[in-house]
Amino acid sequence: MTRKPLNSLPGFNFWIKSRWPQLIIRAVLLGGFIIAILAGFLGTPVGNRNISIVAVWIAWWAALILVAVPIFGRGWCAICPIPMPGEWLQNKAVLGPSVNRNSSKVSRRFPKRIRNIWLQNAAFSLLAVFSVVILTRPIVTAWVLLALILVAIGVSLFYERRVFCRYLCPVGGFIGIYSQQAPLELRVADPSICATHKEKSCYRGNEEGYGCPWDVYPGSLTANTNCGLCMECLRTCEYDNILINLRSSGDKLPAVRGGSLDSSYKAFIMLGSAIVYSAVMLGPWSGLKDAAYQIGSLTWWGYAVGLLVVIWAALPGLFYLVTRAAHKLSPSFHNPRQIFNTHASVLVPLSLTAWIAFSLSFVFANGSYLVPVLSDPFGWGWNLFGTSNAIWTPYLSQYVPVLQTIVLTGGLFWAARKSQQIAEARNAPRQSWPIIIFCTFITVSLLWLFVG
Amino acid sequence: MRPSKYIFISGFLLAGLLVAFTPLPVPRNEPMHHIFHVDSRSFAFTPAEIKVDRGDLVTIELTSSDVVHGLYLDGYELEISTDPGQTNQLTFTADRAGSFRFRCSVTCGDLHPFMIGKLQVGPNLLLWRGAGLAILAALAGVWKFHQ
Amino acid sequence: MENIARIAAIVLVFGASIVIVAARWVNAGGKVEIHATMPEKGGWLPDNITTQVNEPLNLRLISDDVVHGFAIGQSDLEPVDIHPGKPKDITLTFDQPGSYTFYCTRWCGANHWRMRGTITVEGDTSTTVSDEATSPLYLDLSIDLDAPHDLPELNLERVPSTELGQKLGIDPPARYLSREYYLSHTPNQAWGDLRSESFSENLNDSQVWELVALVWSAATTNQLLNVGQELYNQNCAACHGAQGRGDGVFALDASDSPELDSMGNDAVQPPDFNDPRQMYGASPALLQGKIIRGGMGTGMPSWGQILSEDQSWALTNFLWTFSIQDHKE
Repeated sequence: MTRKPLNSLPGFNFWIKSRWPQLIIRAVLLGGFIIAILAGFLGTPVGNRNISIVAVWIAWWAALILVAVPIFGRGWCAICPIPMPGEWLQNKAVLGPSVNRNSSKVSRRFPKRIRNIWLQNAAFSLLAVFSVVILTRPIVTAWVLLALILVAIGVSLFYERRVFCRYLCPVGGFIGIYSQQAPLELRVADPSICATHKEKSCYRGNEEGYGCPWDVYPGSLTANTNCGLCMECLRTCEYDNILINLRSSGDKLPAVRGGSLDSSYKAFIMLGSAIVYSAVMLGPWSGLKDAAYQIGSLTWWGYAVGLLVVIWAALPGLFYLVTRAAHKLSPSFHNPRQIFNTHASVLVPLSLTAWIAFSLSFVFANGSYLVPVLSDPFGWGWNLFGTSNAIWTPYLSQYVPVLQTIVLTGGLFWAARKSQQIAEARNAPRQSWPIIIFCTFITVSLLWLFVG
Repeated sequence: MRPSKYIFISGFLLAGLLVAFTPLPVPRNEPMHHIFHVDSRSFAFTPAEIKVDRGDLVTIELTSSDVVHGLYLDGYELEISTDPGQTNQLTFTADRAGSFRFRCSVTCGDLHPFMIGKLQVGPNLLLWRGAGLAILAALAGVWKFHQ
Repeated sequence: MENIARIAAIVLVFGASIVIVAARWVNAGGKVEIHATMPEKGGWLPDNITTQVNEPLNLRLISDDVVHGFAIGQSDLEPVDIHPGKPKDITLTFDQPGSYTFYCTRWCGANHWRMRGTITVEGDTSTTVSDEATSPLYLDLSIDLDAPHDLPELNLERVPSTELGQKLGIDPPARYLSREYYLSHTPNQAWGDLRSESFSENLNDSQVWELVALVWSAATTNQLLNVGQELYNQNCAACHGAQGRGDGVFALDASDSPELDSMGNDAVQPPDFNDPRQMYGASPALLQGKIIRGGMGTGMPSWGQILSEDQSWALTNFLWTFSIQDHKE
């Protein structure tokens, strides 16, 4: 793997270390977040004319899935406004730190049993069963956004650091596993410096910045998953030993030891929801749409149970059988759980590209709703930029299927390579075959859903 | 880097290009005129799937069973709308092959953005080529040229 | 520095909220907002507005779900479309006091026609130009709109055709061509009258029917029929069917639940306008009466507040195109 540190770029350290640029960007986004909530409550109930829907589910979602996650990994987390008010209250400072550094701070640790992403998996699944309504009704989106920020404030008053981001945020979990593939990473330049550095200011904080809000010790970072790119350690490191690197490939997989079951489940949830959403939202089957929409009805319960069964039982169960077959074909000394968890990591690139393909269709078809909404964010008849009369028209409708095909096949290649690497690292090269056949089957099914 | 690596990579790239671009003989029948009666209601088109051959003349008679709906055809970039009781027609030559979504173009309620049907013109070559590329991609992933 | 950041943060969080809420109030200033939703969810809100004569009434029309339209009954005002989430501002000025009906012009469900409201224009009634509302013709003729008028016994060899009537080379006498005769007679009565005329002695029964077709066509013009057709397509076809067969989309809804429709009305399958047995026992006056009064214990709305008298007659004329061939050229 080749790495290129960005820190040597002129002005890079200055702009990153200064607390202001990040604060200003996050504050502007917080303003936008508040506007989105208010728009949901006060603006028109028509989703595609209300900025709460259009900004969050079209603009933000497109930026997140098509740009931020693939390129910057947890880049969104670095500027996310949701935990901000909670952090202000927790730290008793807005700009921070130096001031009041020694005043009493919340120091309660999050319970060990739930220091994993099971809660995030549950939160995402909970939102998933209501997704078509959240996506289309401003007031529901407003409630969800409000609930997120209130929960974030609440937990930050109760537990130390960004517990919300790490263990609760519904999108934090998948951004984490996808960031493993990002071409950007935060790592220490020389681990030996960290080993002899007793103060561990990157974890404890000093007058330059807070101790890692993500509860990570940067000195031992080997994966992007839990690093929120908040840049505090760049500020606190007394030796300028923290680098932001461009890199040629993703995090090394824990090929032998095996990942954890909560992360594996995250991958199943993302893959399963991408498949179900594609069928419901992009397919021609109106029965599915009605079922997903009539919340509380018997068919909706059927849909909800079906969705949960697919993502929590059917897909993992099928995949378990596939890993058993892999073990039979090419035995290694690992236990079934290790085999399952390591191989599940190949679903990370597969599900990421599935989400990109899904979002391409949704975003290009509905992106033009942004134009009138910018001029009339609340549907109140404004015309701020003279564009409120712009009409809806899908963009590039001829080319989106081609793009989706390229993205999906690219994702399959990526997954197959990862699978092969895992298998070879275990000296069981044929272990990958059933996995890759499974991935190919999933990819062709997705192709059929998107371009069939 | 062994020279054989380049051979494998070029081999896969060439195969990929072949799968993606080889012109395939598509049987062409005499162009027909198809008239489809498509009914729209929140949030569905009936029928939601239409198949024609390339070169056929297609007329879509759009009606609505509840509120004002529209129909926008991806790829062809054509649009019509209809009120209940007032049939509207769209006639065009299906000169582009492939599978195209058509979507409601008049806001008709919450699930309006998901009101979708599809028109298939001739065999859906993109899907077959995509499946072929997927199999190639899987093989390329297994191949050991990265070592 | 910290203090600057704190102030900025407070200004931002509260500022954004206050600005938006304030903008909401400023934005609404001076306009009467009328929200439109599907009738099942409330229809017009409010549906009753009071204004003063000769004073501009600034309306902001807002659709909260699907496409609606706004028009004032019996007026020349062009209907205005109201697109979801896109407020439409209009200004109306009434120069006559009175009660005006506003109504939805775009179909928004089976109960679309229930979307009606009232604008009460107050003012000095002494300025009212004497415009005595004429009583409907069906009342003057004492027609019972609710009495059955179908002719189950009627036996036609073929649907009468205006074109064939012209080929007979007989001009019906002037009394048949008068407007009064046409309005007050059913085709069946006209056939009886024409049959007993001496000039029809050599004609067979079907040929006399062609004469009736001729008389009916003479009472209208293509221009009027076009007006009628447009009105029919917009307002009637959704229930009565584009071809007049009583098979419109909402009529089919009604036949699903034969007793009550979704808002508690008796729902009855509309008659087939193509069937001479349904039509030839009805005079234009009766049809027009049904249109303007509505009711009948069916889902049929009353159009008297909506259509002008000319429009209601144009529509009535058009209805005969279904059961008379070549009625419209």
